Amino acid sequence: MRVLEVDEAAELALCLDDDDDERRRTVDTGLVGEVAPGDTLLVHAGTALMREPR
Amino acid sequence: MKFVEEFRDPELGRALAAELRSLVEPGRTYKLMEVCGGHTHSIYRYGIDGLLPDEVELVHGPGCPVCVLPMGRVDDGIAIAREPNVIFTCFGDMMRIPGSHGSLLEAKAEGADVRMVYSPLDALAIARRNPEREVVFFAIGFETTAPSTALTLRRAKAEGIANFSCMCNHVTIVPPLRALLDSPDLRLDGFIGPGHVSSVVGARPFEFIPADYAKPLVISGFEPLDVLQSIQMLLAQLADGRCEVENQYARVVAWEGNPRALEVMAEVFELRAHFEWRGLGFISQSALKLSDAYAELDAEVRYGIPGVRVADPKACQCGEVLKGVIKPWECKVFGTACTPERPIGTCMVSPEGACAAYYTYGRYARGAELAV
Repeated sequence: MRVLEVDEAAELALCLDDDDDERRRTVDTGLVGEVAPGDTLLVHAGTALMREPR
Repeated sequence: MKFVEEFRDPELGRALAAELRSLVEPGRTYKLMEVCGGHTHSIYRYGIDGLLPDEVELVHGPGCPVCVLPMGRVDDGIAIAREPNVIFTCFGDMMRIPGSHGSLLEAKAEGADVRMVYSPLDALAIARRNPEREVVFFAIGFETTAPSTALTLRRAKAEGIANFSCMCNHVTIVPPLRALLDSPDLRLDGFIGPGHVSSVVGARPFEFIPADYAKPLVISGFEPLDVLQSIQMLLAQLADGRCEVENQYARVVAWEGNPRALEVMAEVFELRAHFEWRGLGFISQSALKLSDAYAELDAEVRYGIPGVRVADPKACQCGEVLKGVIKPWECKVFGTACTPERPIGTCMVSPEGACAAYYTYGRYARGAELAV
């Protein structure tokens, strides 16, 4: 999923679903550290397991 | 898409398949288990089995969390869903798993407020929006999904959301693998290791397989070239007389796993003494429950559950499929009484279930041609 917006304090990101450009998901980023808009995340059950290297 | 297209290159796939065939020793057969249901799905979706030499047989493992859930736990969930004032939330494939008296979907049709969610975070959002209702999340999955539940429970506790609770059905992958390796029913030569579980737990928990059982394991990604390369790496180990844990999925899996995930899981969960697995029976320390620190958010404590053990339907052979003893098409009801539209057994429900993968991609019998 691609990160659109980040709420650093809450460790949440609004992301765009790779399979459906219309769909936006709130993703918990607590396991991957700092993320920024434009990052790509590997997400499972609403939680990012990995941030793709920039 | 990065990390996807390059792992679906058909030319590279054919080259890998040729290399793989060159590693097969004449007269020898190889029985390799793909542990994870995600791999089973990839193998049949992409026709990987059709690229393998006859000497290599893939056996499907117990790594589909929906498939291994016993009927009694479904009944327990339905009992909570029928409680007054409860909004019961779960993942989509969980809704169609048959219990002894119907599924959650049927309970919903009969009036229970059962809602499909994409994540535990969505269930928590429902609790925030409905403070007058009790919201229960039916948590299911291996170590890949457990951190998501743990992070959500940590949020619920930090925010003091008292109307949220969790019925925990998370399971762990190592104990059933040990049970399978100890089983006299099955002789295996190696394992395609679970990629996403390993992204959380790392590679180290699998080191007992070469150490104690002298079998190789290769942690694998889910794209077709990932799976082919993992099989090639297993055959190379067997040809060399080596026996190790190797990591084909290094772009995602760190050897030590994800320390943050392991830390939050250790805080929120503790091991159950025993847990029942469909087809495998009770396995010690193979599942998680909420720790004492999170007991106030434990739906099993909040509601009490019947906890009745229910036998599988006689016609259903999911147990043998899950142990790799039979192929899905060898089950008496496969594709006739049991289909994805009207499943009898769990393996026909989840896309990661072996029966659903065989049915969806046209493997109705040994050597069947692709239907699509």
